[in-house]
Amino acid sequence: MHFLYFDPGLGAMIIQAIIAAVAGVVLFSKNLMYKIKLFLGISKPIEDDVFDDIEIKDSDIENKKSSER
Amino acid sequence: MNAKNAHSSSFRDPSGYVFVDNGDIKRVINPIYFKQYKALTESGFYSTLFKNSILIPHTELSNSADEIIIKAEKIPFITYPYEWSFNMYKEAALLTLKLQKYSLEHGFSLKDASAFNVTFHKGKAIFIDTLSFDFYKENSPWRAYKQFITHFFGPLRLASYHGSQQLKLLSNFIDGVPVKMISSMLPTKTKLSPLLYANIHLLAKLEDKHNEDYKGEAKAASLSKKGQLNIIQSLYDYIKKLELKEQSEWGKYYNKTNYTDVAFVQKSEIINHWVKSIQPNSLIDIGGNDGTFVRKLNDEIKTALVCDIDNNAVDFNHKSMKQNKEQFMLPFVLDVLNPSAAIGLNNTERDSFLNRIKDFAPDVTLALAVIHHMSLSGNVPFSQSAKFFSGFSKHLIIEFPKRNDSWVQRLLNNKADFKDHFDFYNIDNFIAEYSKVFEIVEEKEIKESNRVIFLLKTKS
Repeated sequence: MHFLYFDPGLGAMIIQAIIAAVAGVVLFSKNLMYKIKLFLGISKPIEDDVFDDIEIKDSDIENKKSSER
Repeated sequence: MNAKNAHSSSFRDPSGYVFVDNGDIKRVINPIYFKQYKALTESGFYSTLFKNSILIPHTELSNSADEIIIKAEKIPFITYPYEWSFNMYKEAALLTLKLQKYSLEHGFSLKDASAFNVTFHKGKAIFIDTLSFDFYKENSPWRAYKQFITHFFGPLRLASYHGSQQLKLLSNFIDGVPVKMISSMLPTKTKLSPLLYANIHLLAKLEDKHNEDYKGEAKAASLSKKGQLNIIQSLYDYIKKLELKEQSEWGKYYNKTNYTDVAFVQKSEIINHWVKSIQPNSLIDIGGNDGTFVRKLNDEIKTALVCDIDNNAVDFNHKSMKQNKEQFMLPFVLDVLNPSAAIGLNNTERDSFLNRIKDFAPDVTLALAVIHHMSLSGNVPFSQSAKFFSGFSKHLIIEFPKRNDSWVQRLLNNKADFKDHFDFYNIDNFIAEYSKVFEIVEEKEIKESNRVIFLLKTKS
């Protein structure tokens, strides 16, 4: 069931396909650059990062593992 | 429509509403949302989010054919997006994206991405709108995408170009900064960035074009799940790397003050002693900079609000909080001379700072090295600042730099010809005015400095 209580913006809905394509290219090229840099040894390690990765741990097993560490 | 007395911020979503019952935060879920709620609960979706401190935990109180009532964990003090420092704002934005990615992977989708759905609790950004999830419909674009841009991505990108003041825009644009405005405020060179061009400039253009489409003639858009995940991942990577261009001044602060080591240690000892005698559960440090003094307290405090006008100081506090994994600390940006107002529908949707702090009623207020800024930079008479400080907590620990203090001298010299108008600034007048509302419990001179520190208690 869909109930929309705010305006999502028609333009914003249509444009997402284009943005997704751009995002795909950006992600692909960034990834490629990263691999090249890593290969050449010029990629910097991430230091004192206070923000997590985008992934949310799913199963209990994973949580247990991380708490055991 | 709402049988119970719905919270004034809870009227937009027909799925249910929040109400306050004897201080408890409860939520009514309407039958229209039963299917979603059941799926979210039974699939373990909610519980995984609880475990990871992504969503505010709740327990089910009752379940009937008309309504389901749940009770949410109470957050002692709600901060709003326009009170967050840059990195706090960033954390909230990343949390929202993380949540949308997780939702998509489990057959759901966030139906809104309002920055007001996030607040800070136990040292982390946390999502507080339990009913924000809907079933994901295959190949449908993200309905909350534009909201994410106008609530999070736009303000953050603007702030990284024009300074942290931009983050306050949401106090005016409660439903997000208009895309057209974001687009017009960004430097022209941003049109060369594929990501910024697509997410902001092109979006502004298309929104403008389709504004006139009253008949709804445009065909429904479609977007694969992979495509949507790409958008989310690219925004996540981009926002994670965003930084403020502002120079960070906080670090030099404690060197800039006229404190010798002896004075600094003594000041912290006095505060510690007094705080111990009060045994507070909660406190607020106004003008608390990066939280240095609160961290020096030996007593365990459940919730410590530390606010400062300087975004960088708050940002630094936030960073320390994350690194030390502190749960009691809650940093936020606050201008004492203009605390956040109540805004939104009926002026009650988002509460004012004063109302929230009165409800929170901290056991003690710390006001270290702020009175001279209030009095001399802000021209606030002692009677007015006393009124402010006596409004929300019983105890006040306040530091008074005397006239011959170098900071005071500096502020006075800035006044040039008007220096004489500030003759009122001396310790006798301070004591006289503050004695009208406070009882002076103790008073101590800080050695090797021109500062006096007071422990005050409100009368009556």
